[in-house]
Amino acid sequence: MTSGSYARHHRMLKIGSGVSRGVVIALLVVFLLTPLVWLVTTSFKQRVDVFAMPPKWVFTPTMTNFQYVFDKKPIVRFTTNSLVISFGTTILSLLLGVPAAYTLARRRFRGKNLLITSILLIRALPPVVILLPFRLLMNSIGLMGTHAAVILIDTIYNAAFTVWLMVGYFEAMPIEIEEAACVDGCSYFKTFRTIALPLAKPGLVTAALFSLILSWNDFLFALSLTSPSSATLPLGILSTYGMLSVGWTYMTSMCTIAIVPLLLIALFLQKYYVQGLTFGGVK
Amino acid sequence: MLSRKGIFSSKYSLYWLMAPLFIYLAVFYLYPLIYSVYMGFFEWNMGDPTMTFVGLSNYVAAFRDSQFTGSFINTATFVVAAVGIELTLGLALALLLNRETWPMRLLRTVVLLPTLLTPLVVALTWKALLNPDFGALTYYIRAVGLDIGRGVFVERSLAMAGIVLIDVWQWTSLITIILLAGLKGMPIEPYEAAYVDGASRWQAFRFITIPLLRPTILIALVVRSLDALKIFDSVFAITGGGPGTATTTTNFHIFKVGIQHLRVGYASALSNIFLAVSVGIGLLIIRNVFLSSRRKGGAV
Repeated sequence: MTSGSYARHHRMLKIGSGVSRGVVIALLVVFLLTPLVWLVTTSFKQRVDVFAMPPKWVFTPTMTNFQYVFDKKPIVRFTTNSLVISFGTTILSLLLGVPAAYTLARRRFRGKNLLITSILLIRALPPVVILLPFRLLMNSIGLMGTHAAVILIDTIYNAAFTVWLMVGYFEAMPIEIEEAACVDGCSYFKTFRTIALPLAKPGLVTAALFSLILSWNDFLFALSLTSPSSATLPLGILSTYGMLSVGWTYMTSMCTIAIVPLLLIALFLQKYYVQGLTFGGVK
Repeated sequence: MLSRKGIFSSKYSLYWLMAPLFIYLAVFYLYPLIYSVYMGFFEWNMGDPTMTFVGLSNYVAAFRDSQFTGSFINTATFVVAAVGIELTLGLALALLLNRETWPMRLLRTVVLLPTLLTPLVVALTWKALLNPDFGALTYYIRAVGLDIGRGVFVERSLAMAGIVLIDVWQWTSLITIILLAGLKGMPIEPYEAAYVDGASRWQAFRFITIPLLRPTILIALVVRSLDALKIFDSVFAITGGGPGTATTTTNFHIFKVGIQHLRVGYASALSNIFLAVSVGIGLLIIRNVFLSSRRKGGAV
């Protein structure tokens, strides 16, 4: 679409005008940002300011909460555990999901639609349903309480997402380049590895990003499958909520640490994130 | 397209690249699900060495368990309320932001922020904001004279609304982002024709935008509903299913029975019922929405 028709197009669809639009947008920004601003500002507050009524939005900031969290609380361990689980899940999901997606996209065979349907169905699977028997399985093979347990269950959902995303991605790529390579006597696997994979890089980035976000944000699986030595950031954060005596200061500073990587994604990798959110929905 | 013989020939390569995924899914996904079906026939508590075969009595008990049937009603209430509000607001927001100017682009970044955040962090933030005694938001709500009794998550009648509010805050943007992508791909000609014929803005919206956007709306609705069915973090961290059982969703109820009370046999039966319902809904949706959009040539 040319930029000229694009502009006209948008004039056609706009709603509201002038002042009323401005007011609506202002209210929206306040609604969306207030919780975030409260969270981040509280992590820089002193205890006395946290419970001030009316709420204080202007105050003398302090770093003591972060200092305490780093000195006394095992934040480094929680963060390390979250990183190990997120990256472990992402690597495993891509290793399992991407080659399978390539075959599902490029080959015709009987039962293909059934396979795609069953992989899609994983999205509808309530986590708690798989969690109970999965826990028993982990118990019996001795993985309960380890990072591996969480990685293995997170990968079910993330590999399924990777397959769905990458099937679409590979299908949208022109097949001619791969065919040309095969004329020169390239094997199927080599074509996949040396031709298709490099071309699919943006799709791979999106898949990896989603896997990282999903496992970083996971709470239920970590809650049910980790031990204190493998506990992730959300579990660490939860354990500080109840400490009313310190007035949410440690909780909010840990939350702030937990969301920093997510805010960075919003700033620098937004394109890939939006691509992942809208896949399947729109061409 | 391939002529080479041997292990990478077209016949075998098919299995080579898919085998790792399907072996993995068989071991860590299918096997646990089948095991869950098996356990549903037993009376078994974790830590207790005896497993007693009880036939279908776990299932009979499940349908008589008002907490379980009640949790389905709570889940349905939550999904319908949350997704309904999110869809309405999300559509309005998409139309509002559908312009390519720099303030709109900046605003889109602000809008997508909530969807990225850790749901548990979001839950704890709102829990603190709505704390009955020290919550900043509680203070402002009371200051403008709204009656929230002893507090949003303390009052039976308000707790579910609170959980819905948090979901709306975090996920309305998801619908907006999906719909914005849909709006971007819409043709301009129908609008030109309509405005030439003297159509009002509302008529253009009702008779052009909505029908053209329908497939995208459907996908947004499905994606959001399937995720809303999984609601857990905010219930666990804020209300613990209460007050009473006002916010006990099915996910949370099964978690309580199986993981906290360790009644594994009974919880498995509940799981299996929940699974059957979810798979039923999922199959219906996939056949009607996802696969049909693939057939229509939607590459992605």
